[in-house]
Amino acid sequence: AAAGLCPCRALLGGRRGALRALVRPARGLAAAKETHFGFQTVSEEEKGEKVYQVFENVAKKYDIMNDSMSLGIHRVWKDVLVHKMNPSPGTLLLDVAGGTGDIAFRFINYVRSIRERQLQQKLKHHQNLSWQEIADSYQKEAVKPLGDSQVVVCDINKEMLKVGRQKAQHLGYSEGLSWVVGNAEELPFDDDKFDVYTIAFGIRNVTHIDMALQEAYRVLKPGGRFLCLEFSQVTNPLLSRLYDLYSFQIIPVLGEIIAGDWKSYQYLVESIRRFPPQEEFKAMIEDAGFLKVDYQNLTSGIVAIHSGFKL
Amino acid sequence: LRCQLYRPQRAFHASAVLRRVSDEHKKEPSASSTQQFDSHPTDHQPEEEPQGPRPSYTGQGGQESEDYESEEQLQHRILTAALEFVPEHGWTAEAIAEGAKTLGLSVAAAGMFHNDGSELILHFVSQCNTKLSELLEQEQKLVQLGETEKKTTEQFLRDALEARLRMLIPYIEKWPQALSILLLPHNIPSSLSLLTSMIDDIWHYAGDQSTDFNWYTRRAVLTGIYNTTELVMMQDSSPDFEETWRFLENRVADAMNMGNTAKQVQSTGEALVQGLMGAAVTVSNAETSKALR
Repeated sequence: AAAGLCPCRALLGGRRGALRALVRPARGLAAAKETHFGFQTVSEEEKGEKVYQVFENVAKKYDIMNDSMSLGIHRVWKDVLVHKMNPSPGTLLLDVAGGTGDIAFRFINYVRSIRERQLQQKLKHHQNLSWQEIADSYQKEAVKPLGDSQVVVCDINKEMLKVGRQKAQHLGYSEGLSWVVGNAEELPFDDDKFDVYTIAFGIRNVTHIDMALQEAYRVLKPGGRFLCLEFSQVTNPLLSRLYDLYSFQIIPVLGEIIAGDWKSYQYLVESIRRFPPQEEFKAMIEDAGFLKVDYQNLTSGIVAIHSGFKL
Repeated sequence: LRCQLYRPQRAFHASAVLRRVSDEHKKEPSASSTQQFDSHPTDHQPEEEPQGPRPSYTGQGGQESEDYESEEQLQHRILTAALEFVPEHGWTAEAIAEGAKTLGLSVAAAGMFHNDGSELILHFVSQCNTKLSELLEQEQKLVQLGETEKKTTEQFLRDALEARLRMLIPYIEKWPQALSILLLPHNIPSSLSLLTSMIDDIWHYAGDQSTDFNWYTRRAVLTGIYNTTELVMMQDSSPDFEETWRFLENRVADAMNMGNTAKQVQSTGEALVQGLMGAAVTVSNAETSKALR
C-alpha cells in the first residue's frame, strides 16, 4: 500500500548523518545554526544525529519505559487522541514519528469496532434477510474488516520501526498497516494524500518544527486534520513543582535502572521543558496554514492535544 | 503579540477549500438569510453573520481576504450537505462526514463538529425557522397587496404551525433522536432560544402587538401547542399525518376559547364585585338611617 503513496523518496537519517560526519571537517566555512538539545546548545545537524542515537538506544525498552515513567497514563492519553480523531472507516492516517505503533494499533481497533457496529445496524434494518444473505454479508465484512482504512507509520529511526513491526506481528495486526522510513521535515509522500496526520510525542524531537508543520499541511487532503499529542506546560503551579521534581529526580533514575541509559532520559525531560507552551505552539500551527486550531489539556497540561484543519 | 493581518506565509496557502464569496453568490442566493443560533429575528431579517469573511482568518489584509468565505460559512455548507445523509445515518458525525465528502473534503473535516451531531440538528432547526419566516413574510405581502384575504388568528396559527411541522417530514424517522439530543444540557440554551424566537416570529406575523402580560401568556401557550403537536407527530402513522393536524386544530381552538373564557371570568368577576359593593352600600345606608331614627 505504501508503494502507491510515495514517489520513492525514503530518506535514511542515519546514513545521512554518517556522510555528514565525513564532510564536516572539510567544509569549516558556514557556522552551522544552533539549536537546543535538551538544555545543551548544539548545531542543528548535531541535533538530528543525537536524537537519532537517543532513540536507537532506547528503542527496545521504549514501551516499558513509557509505562513506568507515566505510570501507564500514556495509554489513556493515546486513547483520548484516537477518540478525539473519531475516525470513520475509509480514513487514511499518517502517523509520523509513530515508531512502535501505539497510535496505529489503536486506530485499527477503533475502525474495526465502528465497522462492526455499522454492519450490525445495517442488518437490523433488513429484518427479513434469509440466513444465506446474512452469512454472505458477514463474509463480505471479513474480507474488508477495516473498510478501506489504512495507516502509514512513518519514522526516521529504523530501530523504532523494527520494534513496531515486531509488535504488530506479535499482536496480530497485519492488514491496513505500512511502515515507512522518513523524515518529518521532508516526507516521502505526495501532496493531498492523507485524511489525518498525527504525531504523538514526536514533534519536540524535530529540529525544524515549522518545516514539519508545513509538510503536514502539504500531505493532508483539503479538509484533512492535523493532530499533535505532546508534552506541554502545566497550568497548576503546585502540580508544576511536583512534576518538575518527578521529572528531574525520578525519571533519569528509572532510565538507568530499567533501560541502562541515564542520558537519554535526561534528554527526554529537558526536551519537554524546551518545547513551546500551548498558545505558542497553536500560533505556529496557524502559521503553517491550518485553520480552526485548538488545543485540549490533559492531566492539567502535562500533555496537550493540538488540532488543526487544512481548509 | 501577533498581528493577525500580516502573515506572509499564509499568502502561499491559497485556501484549498474556502471559496471566493462571488462563487457562493452565484450558487446560493438564499444563503444570506441564514440565522445564527442565538439571534432574534426582527421584521427585516438582518444578517447576523457578515457575508464577507473576517480578515484574520483568511490571509493578508486588503482585497484578497474579503473575497473568501469564512470558516463559519464553510461549516454551514458542510452541514447543509450533510442533511441529505441524515435519513440513512441519523444525526451523527457519520452524516457530517458524508456531507463533507460530497463537497470534496476529507471525512476528517467532520472533526470540526461535536461528536454527537448537535450542530447538525441546530443548523437544521435554524434553517427551518428561517424558511418559516420567509413563508410568513410572503403571505403578509400578499395580504397587504390585497391578493389574499387576511386569515383569522386561529387559522393563521394553525397554518403556520402546520407548515413548520411539515418540514420535519423527510426526517421524521430520526427526529426523536434529534429531540433527545436537543435536550442535552449543553444544547438547551441554543435549542430554547431557537424555539422562542420562532414562536415570537409567528405571533409577530399574526399581528400581536401586546405590550402587557399577554405577551408572555400568548407565547407560553403557543410553545405548549407546538411541543405537544410535535410529540404527537412522532408516533402518528395516519396517512399524511391527518391525526396530527386534527390534534393541532383542537389545541388551537382550545387556546382561543381559553381566551374567551378568561374574558368571561373577568366580566363575571367584575359583576360580582359590583354586586358586593352595592350590597355594602345598601347595608351601610340602612345602618345610617336606623341610627338617625
